[in-house]
Amino acid sequence: MDRASHLSVVVDLSPNHWYLSSTRTQQNARPLSLKSFLSQLLVFLNSHIACKDENTLAVFGALPGRSVMLHSSTNESSGNPFEMADADTYRPFKILDAEVMQTIARHVETLGPSDIKKPVELVGALSKSLCYINRITTASSTQSNEQTAALDPRILILSVSPDQSSSYIPIMNSIFAAQKLKVTIDICKVYGSESVFLQQAAHLTGGSYLHLERADALLQYLTMSFLPPPSIRQLLSVPTQDKIDFRAACFCHKRIVDIGFVCSVCLSIFCQPVPVCSTCRTKFPIKTLQRLNAARPTVATPATTPTVQTALSLPSSNSIKGTNVNGSQSTVQNGSR
Amino acid sequence: MPSVEHNPDSVTQSEWSPHILLTFLQSQSQNALTRLYQRPSSCLSIFRLLRPLERQLIMNILWLESATPLSTMSAWVTQEGKKPYSDSLSTLARLHIIPNSTTKLALNATFRASLRQAITGGGTTGSFGVPAEPDPQHSPPDIATLDAYALERWETILHYMVSSGTGQHPTKPSQEVLFLLQRSGLMTRVHGGVLQITSSGFQFLLHDPHAQLWELLLQFLHMAEERQMDLVEVLSFLLMLSTMELGREYSTENLSPTQSAMLADLRNYGLVWQHSTSARQFCPSRLATTLTSSSPPLPTSRSTGGGSHDQGFIVLETNYRLYAYTDNPLQIAVLNLFVNLKSRFPNLVVGAITRESVKKALANGITADQIISYLTTHAHPQMRKNKPLLPVTVQDQIRLWELEKNRLKSQEGYLYTAFASQADYEYVLNYAKQLDVVLWDNPTKRCFFGSLDGHANIRGFIERRSAGIA
Repeated sequence: MDRASHLSVVVDLSPNHWYLSSTRTQQNARPLSLKSFLSQLLVFLNSHIACKDENTLAVFGALPGRSVMLHSSTNESSGNPFEMADADTYRPFKILDAEVMQTIARHVETLGPSDIKKPVELVGALSKSLCYINRITTASSTQSNEQTAALDPRILILSVSPDQSSSYIPIMNSIFAAQKLKVTIDICKVYGSESVFLQQAAHLTGGSYLHLERADALLQYLTMSFLPPPSIRQLLSVPTQDKIDFRAACFCHKRIVDIGFVCSVCLSIFCQPVPVCSTCRTKFPIKTLQRLNAARPTVATPATTPTVQTALSLPSSNSIKGTNVNGSQSTVQNGSR
Repeated sequence: MPSVEHNPDSVTQSEWSPHILLTFLQSQSQNALTRLYQRPSSCLSIFRLLRPLERQLIMNILWLESATPLSTMSAWVTQEGKKPYSDSLSTLARLHIIPNSTTKLALNATFRASLRQAITGGGTTGSFGVPAEPDPQHSPPDIATLDAYALERWETILHYMVSSGTGQHPTKPSQEVLFLLQRSGLMTRVHGGVLQITSSGFQFLLHDPHAQLWELLLQFLHMAEERQMDLVEVLSFLLMLSTMELGREYSTENLSPTQSAMLADLRNYGLVWQHSTSARQFCPSRLATTLTSSSPPLPTSRSTGGGSHDQGFIVLETNYRLYAYTDNPLQIAVLNLFVNLKSRFPNLVVGAITRESVKKALANGITADQIISYLTTHAHPQMRKNKPLLPVTVQDQIRLWELEKNRLKSQEGYLYTAFASQADYEYVLNYAKQLDVVLWDNPTKRCFFGSLDGHANIRGFIERRSAGIA
C-alpha cells in the first residue's frame, strides 16, 4: 500500500568545512556554497512533503560542539510564529523553509570563536534523530493504528566534515540502534574524502552511500537516490557502494587501524598487543603478547591491502593463529556493546 | 481471504487501482488538462493522488532541462519493477503528464513549470488561496466548530440515505444534495415521489468516508459538465481546497463566477464553512483539506463515548453475536442493514448476524465482501489482536449465504416450441447447437430454449427453411 514515510535529515553544518567547500581549489573544481546547498536541500525537503500529505519530516543540524533540532513536522503551529500567509506558496512548505533557515541562523550567530575549533556533533544529531524516530514509532504502535504504525523511517546524513576517529564507538552504537529500530541510514557525502564510518552505517542498515561527484547537481542526486522510500527502491534501484571500507578504530588511541588486535573475550579492538584488556580486564599470557609483537610489521603498516589480523588469544591456553582477511570485504565487527 | 493486510511489500504496484479522480481525468481532453496544469496547487494535488512509483518518476525528471533517453531511465528499473514501471508510464501518458514517446522521457512543459513552482514557492498565481483579512465582526471558527459542522452536514446526508424507506424522517439535506443523490443513482424516486435508497446506495454506505466523498464529488463534476460550468475551474477549485489550511479563512474575491457559485454547493456537502451565504470569506473544513491525503476526513464520530471511536467499535464473536460500542445513529443505522439488532444501551448496541439479516442485505444489493470489509475496517482495537481479525466461521458463513442466494441464475431468451415434426425440430436444434446458443432442450416435448442473442439467427433459419419448403 501507499504508506506514509518518515524522513529525518541530519545536516552537517561545520563552518570550516563549508568554507572549504565553497572555495575553488584544484581539488575542488565545482565549489558548493552553504547558501546554494541549503536552497537545494529545502527543495528536497519540500519534495518529500509534497509526495504525501502524511509524510513526516525532522531536520537536525550538527554544529561545532552542539546538535540542534531545526524542524519537525509534528510539533508545528506552536504559537504560529510565521503568521504571514501567502497565496502563492503551499503553507507547510513555507513554515518548513522559514523554520529551518531561522533556526540555523539563530544557532550560527551564537557560535563563539572557541566553538569553531570543536568538532561537529554529528553523533549527537544522529542520536537525537534516532530518539525522535523511536518516539514517533512507539507512540503510533501503541495506538494500534495500522496506518501510522508503518512509517518506513529513514535517516539521511548530509556530511561535509571528515571522520572523527574518537566518535567510532558512538557511531557504531547508533548503527546498531538503527538496525534494531529497522531504520535505514542514507549517506550523502557532499564534500571531502570518503567517510569510513558513514560507509559502514549505510551498508549495515541497508541504506545507500553517495559521494557527490558534481556538487552543482546536488538536488538531482538527492531526488533520485534519497527521495524514494524503501518500498520504491525495490522497483527503482538507487546507487549503492561496491566497495566498502570496513576498517575500525582502535579503542585505545581512537586511530583507524589497518591491523587490529581483538580481545578474545569482549572483542575490543587495539592497535597494539596489550597485556590487559582495558574494557573487560582480561589478562593475556605474556607468551601470546611476545608472539603477536613479533608478528607485527616492523615499520608503519605497508600501505598495500589493509588487513585485519584477528588475534584470538585465549587467556590461558595456546593462542590460535590469527586469520588474515581481506579488508575490503569482511572483517571484525566490533563495538557490539 | 485473510482479513488483515499483511506484508505490503509483496503487493506489487499494479494491483493498486488508481484514484477515482485520475480515471475521470484520463477521459478529459488534453486541452482541458493542460489548462488545469497551469495552476501549481492543482499539479501538487494531482501529484499526490498518483501512485508512489509514478510520483518518483516525475520527481526524477522534474529538475532536468532536457529530455531523458528512455533507456537511461529503464536502466534504473529492477527486474520486479518492470511491469509497474510500464504501467506507470502508460498512466502518466494518459494523463498527459509524460507524453507518450518511444525514445525520450520529458514532462509536459506546463505541468513541469507548475509543479516546480509549487515546490519552490513564489510566483503570482495565487493558486493556494488568498487568505482573508481578519474580520472584526466575525471571528473565524475554531477547528472543533469546523469539524462538528462538517460532520453534521455529512452525517445528515448519509443518515437521510440510510433511513429512507424505513418510515423514519430524519433531517432532510438541501434540495441540491437530494438532486445529486438522485442523479448519481444512489437514491431513486419511487411512486409518490418519495426518495428511496438503491442498491448502489447501500453499497455506497459501506465505503469509507474518503471514497464516499470522492464518489459524490465526481458525480458533481459530471453534473457541472451538464450545467455548462467550466470543468477546469471546478476541478482546480476543488484541488485548491485540498491544499488549504484547516481553520484559516480565505477570501472569495479572487474566485471566478463559477467558483463562487460552487461555494453554495460545497457548503451543502460540508466541505466549506461560511458564516452567511453572502460572506466574503470561507473556511475549508477537514473534509476539504484531506481530499488528497489518506488521513481520515472526518473527526471522531458524534458520540459521547469518546476515545477509540475513530479506531473502530465493532466486536464480533464466533457465535455471530456482534457488539458495537457506539451511540451514533448513523453507524447504528448502517449496522442495521445487515445485523439483527437486539438490544440498545447508552453506548452499546448488541445484535447478531443471522441468515435473515444477511439475506436482507444481499437483497438490497450489498455483497458479502462489502459486509466483511466494513466489519474489518470498523473492528474494535481489541479485535485487532486476533489473527485473522474476524472469526473465520462468520466470514465463511456470510459468503455461503451469498452463494446460497446465487443458486438461481436467470437468463433471458426464447422458447422454441410446436415444431411440425421431429426432423424439423432436430434440424433446427442442430443449427442452434452449432451456434452454441442452446440453454436447454427437451426432445420428447419438441421444444428448446435459446439465448437472447441467438434469436435473430434461429428465427432467420426457420423462416428460410419454411420458405424453402413452401
